[in-house]
Amino acid sequence: MIGQTLDHYRIVAQLGEGGMGVVYRARDEVLNRDVALKLLAQGALEKVGRGHLLREAQTASSLSHPNICTIHQVGQTGDDFYVVMELIEGRSLSDLLTTTGLSMEIVTRYGVQIADALAHAHDRGIVHRDLKGSNVMVTAEGRVKVLDFGLATRMEREEISELTLSYDTLESKLVGTLPYMSPEVLRGHKADHLSDLWAFGVLLYEAAAGRLPFRGNTGFEVTSAILREPPPPLPPTVPHGLAAVIQRCLMKEPPERYQRASEVRAALEALQGAVLQSRHPSEETRGPRTLVLRGMEHLTVKNGDVLLLVGTNKGAFLLRSSRDRSKWDVAGPYFHGQGVYAMAYDGRNGRHRLWVSTNSLMWGTFLRSSDDFGRIWTNPLEASIRFPIESGAALKNIWQICLGRAEEPETLYCGVEPAALFESRDGGESWSLVRGLYDHPQRPRWMPSNGGLFLHTVVPDPGKRERMYVAVSAGGVYRTEDCGNTWQARNSGIRVVFMPEKYPEFGQCVHKIVLHESRPERLFLQNHWGLYRSDNCGDSWQDIARGVPSDFGFAMLMHPHDADCVFILPVESDEFRCTPEGRLRVYRTRNAGGSWESLERGLPQQGAYETVLRDAFSTDSLDPAGIYFGTRSGKLYASRDAGKGWKKILEGLPQIVCVKAAVIQMDGAPAARPHAKGKPAAKRKTPRMKSVRRGNRR
Amino acid sequence: MQVVFNIPGPLREFTENRSSVRLEVKAGADLREALQVLFAACPGLRDRVLTESGEIRRHVNIFVANEDVRYTGGLATAVRGGAEISIVPAISGG
Repeated sequence: MIGQTLDHYRIVAQLGEGGMGVVYRARDEVLNRDVALKLLAQGALEKVGRGHLLREAQTASSLSHPNICTIHQVGQTGDDFYVVMELIEGRSLSDLLTTTGLSMEIVTRYGVQIADALAHAHDRGIVHRDLKGSNVMVTAEGRVKVLDFGLATRMEREEISELTLSYDTLESKLVGTLPYMSPEVLRGHKADHLSDLWAFGVLLYEAAAGRLPFRGNTGFEVTSAILREPPPPLPPTVPHGLAAVIQRCLMKEPPERYQRASEVRAALEALQGAVLQSRHPSEETRGPRTLVLRGMEHLTVKNGDVLLLVGTNKGAFLLRSSRDRSKWDVAGPYFHGQGVYAMAYDGRNGRHRLWVSTNSLMWGTFLRSSDDFGRIWTNPLEASIRFPIESGAALKNIWQICLGRAEEPETLYCGVEPAALFESRDGGESWSLVRGLYDHPQRPRWMPSNGGLFLHTVVPDPGKRERMYVAVSAGGVYRTEDCGNTWQARNSGIRVVFMPEKYPEFGQCVHKIVLHESRPERLFLQNHWGLYRSDNCGDSWQDIARGVPSDFGFAMLMHPHDADCVFILPVESDEFRCTPEGRLRVYRTRNAGGSWESLERGLPQQGAYETVLRDAFSTDSLDPAGIYFGTRSGKLYASRDAGKGWKKILEGLPQIVCVKAAVIQMDGAPAARPHAKGKPAAKRKTPRMKSVRRGNRR
Repeated sequence: MQVVFNIPGPLREFTENRSSVRLEVKAGADLREALQVLFAACPGLRDRVLTESGEIRRHVNIFVANEDVRYTGGLATAVRGGAEISIVPAISGG
């Protein structure tokens, strides 16, 4: 078939073979795009009749859902009957399965998407009938796509017997189906949405346990297990809640299962724990209530949009704007009541992942992520960032989430309190303490600053893989030249005011360091008193505080396109940590610290005693650059012309501790899922400004 | 022996929304051992109640039979059959 053309589709390569036929990669010569083309097997056609199959495919082509593979066209030339579908680059769930099962996070993350796809199709009267691991694709971004909705033929009783009898000799393309078949279908009943939910239960079991629930050496053994045996207990590593969901999907009697895919989705979402909530308030007559946030409006993010991640000491907010950055949609608060000191957007490797650290005064600090712009957040059962038990240390907070270099898309760093650096090499799944720094002989002599003793800044050298800088309050700047194995204090020339020795080797209370990727050897530094530049990778530092109202401050920002341009937000003094003279001014140098100028157009110049904390200052990558900062008093300011003019885009937030901006680049379809349908359970009031509209309308 | 754990609202997403969990623990168990049984049944609870170094989080209070365990021996507090063990967030905030 390769090289041949069907209608205007040129067959390029074979992608796979399934029970219904062979799938090819093809080029749509009219629309100039690559598609998947399934050429249906003649046997399948004869069995069900062309007319029937055509109707089924047409019905399935009406489905439009981000987790369902879109059918573009159903066609026929001569004897050939084919279905043209969206080409999905990724791996099937069966390929991803491991013998030990996937993590709870992954199982629920994929499970929610599959359940959403099923709910969408079932609502439209379309049953899958052949849901199995090989029919579920996972893209590089972690998005699930269910294939072949409605394309499976209905099996007659005799065919099932045949399938059972010949199980051990069958071609693999059919073997895949039997272990997912429900008891009622095996008894000859028509497959319906409840048998889809059974198959979904088998899929979840398989994903969580790494093995099928109903197995056997022969088809009889498999069918007998399906009809009569309870599924074997899941491994103890599978959490109780997930096991309960799977068990209910695998009830032998259909009325005992979940009755709707949306119920399974809700149960899985509850496990993900996007938001804390009490689902059965009646159970609790007096106890505390948490608001149900399921109905919170979420952002719909499109290609090219600018996203602002805003962390406060009482939760996180997300803002979205188109490229013109004139109007902002607001969603939140997420994790209400919890401190969110670190956020990051990871768009490497086709991902669209938000990272956030949540710090509950009571229940500890957890690193969480969302792949759909905040609709669903992971909530790990076990903290992924934890000090080794022998260290005796306990995580207090995560202050910084830093992406590794672009060429190391699976690398992430976290700077934490008590001061330490953690590293992940698998995209944030697992983390380890960087021992070279933690075991540094100087560490015991680092001193806590006002906010504690913490590592708040991580700067990988963009040019040299082995080199990285961190800043600790109060320990100073440390540099590694060997990927983190050994670290050297790099504070020569940086003054301290709180020790008798003014220029010690370490112990400086450094607040922020920045560099520009085009000049990685040159660093700028905002100190606890003092502005500095180093032209030699931190070996020595020069004072550059000429022409600023105060050289005290927390935040410092590098211009994204100009290596000589740095922004700061001066604070009056150590004792009065507010803007000097009650004037909110950003200061900018355009000659690498030779001189500084005030940027104040649009910023309040009277009675504005504000503080901008070290991570509440960010820039996007557009030109002219957008610059954003948030204040301790909960106001968010933005400039869309690199600081010339400013506008308050939001106020009334809790104390802002973190602002991160990102420009969202997507290939193909929008990555954000459509928002929940139906009436929101409880709408949250979101602070608004005249230029701000509420999130998520379309 | 059986003990009943009372679970506060924010942690019920790890107990299938149950406000209390009744579990069988071995006779003579102390609070540490009783909690281990709870954590095995509801794995999300462990890291939210204890730090990674194994201490009760500073702003979490645990009561055995209405006594704050901070005054009765901490995790070594004895637990009797039928006891209620309550996990309660402290009154604190900012």
